[in-house]
Amino acid sequence: MNCRECLAELSTASLREMQPDSAVMQHCATCADCASLTTRLRELEYNSASALNNLLPLTSPVGLAETSATLSRRRRVGRLVVTMSGIIGAIIIAVVASTMMVPQTIWNGITGSVSASELRTETITLTCLSPEQAGEIISPYVRSHGSVYYTPTAGLSVITVRGTAREIQRSRDLLADLEGDPGAACHNPADADVADMKRRADEDAARPELAGTDVRPTPAPMPAPRPKLAPTGH
Amino acid sequence: MRLNRFEKRKSREGGNDEAVVYRDRASYALDAQLASLAAAGDDSAFTTLVTRFQPAVFRWALIFAHDPDEAEDITQEVFVRAHRRLADYRSDGSLDAWLYRITRRTATQLRRTRRRRGRLVMSPAAQPQRDVYTTDPGARVDRQRAAEVIHHLFTGLPQRQREIFDLVDLQGLSPAEAAERTGMKPVSVRTNLFKARKTIRDGLLATHPAYGELSR
Repeated sequence: MNCRECLAELSTASLREMQPDSAVMQHCATCADCASLTTRLRELEYNSASALNNLLPLTSPVGLAETSATLSRRRRVGRLVVTMSGIIGAIIIAVVASTMMVPQTIWNGITGSVSASELRTETITLTCLSPEQAGEIISPYVRSHGSVYYTPTAGLSVITVRGTAREIQRSRDLLADLEGDPGAACHNPADADVADMKRRADEDAARPELAGTDVRPTPAPMPAPRPKLAPTGH
Repeated sequence: MRLNRFEKRKSREGGNDEAVVYRDRASYALDAQLASLAAAGDDSAFTTLVTRFQPAVFRWALIFAHDPDEAEDITQEVFVRAHRRLADYRSDGSLDAWLYRITRRTATQLRRTRRRRGRLVMSPAAQPQRDVYTTDPGARVDRQRAAEVIHHLFTGLPQRQREIFDLVDLQGLSPAEAAERTGMKPVSVRTNLFKARKTIRDGLLATHPAYGELSR
C-alpha cells in the first residue's frame, strides 16, 4: 500500500474497525506522514466525543422533571379545553343549523320559493317583439321569489330574465313561438300596412256601391269631333 | 444507558462483554418499570427517569442544535412530550431508542419553528440582557468548547450526515443499530456515513504531501 491508497482508505474508513494488522496500519508503521495523520484523525474524533460527552446540562434533573410534568399537565388541560371548545362549537353550529336553516329549507319547499343560488340570469334577443311586449308576455311565468325581468332603456331589442331554469326556459320558448309566427303583427310593420291598404282598395273596387258612400261619378266620355264637310258646287 | 464508543472499547478489552449484556438487560427492565410507574402518575419515578436520561438526551440534542443553549431547550421539550406520551411507550422496546426518536422529532420541529421566528430573534429587543453563565465560568468554558466542536465538525454537514456520524463514529453504534434507531435503511446509513467522514476528514487529509495525487 502506498500513501495515495492509504489516504483513499482513511477518507471514509472507520478508525474504530481498523485492526493493527490491517494494510493501513502496516503502511502507517512505515510512513511517518500517514501515521501522524491517522493519529490526528483519531485524536480529533476522541476529542470531539469527549467534548460532547463531558458537557453536562446546566438544568438540574429534579427541576427539569418538575417543569416537564407541570408543562405536560398544563398542555393536557389546554388540549382538553380546546377539544371541549371544538365540541361545544360544533354543537352550537348544529343547533343553529337545525333551528334556522333546516326550517327555512322546509318552508321554502312548502312555499315553492327558491334560494338565490338556484336563480340564473339570461338575456334573450328579440327580433320582432319590443322589450316591453316581451315583458308583458313573460310576466305571468316569472313569478317565483326573486325572479324578475329587465327591459333595457337604451333601445336594444333584448330582454334580461332572472329566474329559475324552468322559468327562463319557459320564457324563451314562449318568445320564440311568438317571434317565429310569420303571421304575427310585429313582422315588418311598414310593409304590412301597405299590403293591408292595397288589399282594402281592391276589396272596395270589387264591392257594389252602397248608399251614402262617397263615390265620385265617373265622367261621361267626350263625343268624337265632327269632321268638316267639303264645299259643294251648288 | 448506552455506553459510548470509548467506554465500550474499555469493557471489551477487559473481557466484560457478558457483563455489558446483563447490565443492558437490567437497565432495560428498570427503565420499563420506571416508565410504567411514571405513566401511572408517580412523580418520583418520572424524576428518576429524567435523572437517568437527561445527559443522554442533552447529548443527542447537541448534535441537532447549533449550541448548548438550544440543546437545553430541546431537552426540556423532549421530557415534556415524554411525560405526556409515557402511556404510549411499549416496554418491549428500549426506552432510550424511544426517547431518541422523540428528541429527533422535537429538534426538527423546534428548528422549523425557530427558522420561522428568525426575524424576531434578530431584533435587538430579543437579545438577552445578562450573561447567564457569569456564575459558572467553568461551565461557560465547557460550553464554548462544545460549541466550537459542533461548529468545527458539523458545519456544512446536512442533519442526517451529522446525526449518523455522531451515532456511529462518536457514540459507537454499529451502522445497523444506527439504521434501526433513525429508521433509515442500512444502505442509506452507510452512504451518509461515508459522505460525512469524507467531508470532515478532507481538510485534515489535505495536509498530507501526497494528497495532491489523490485529488487528481
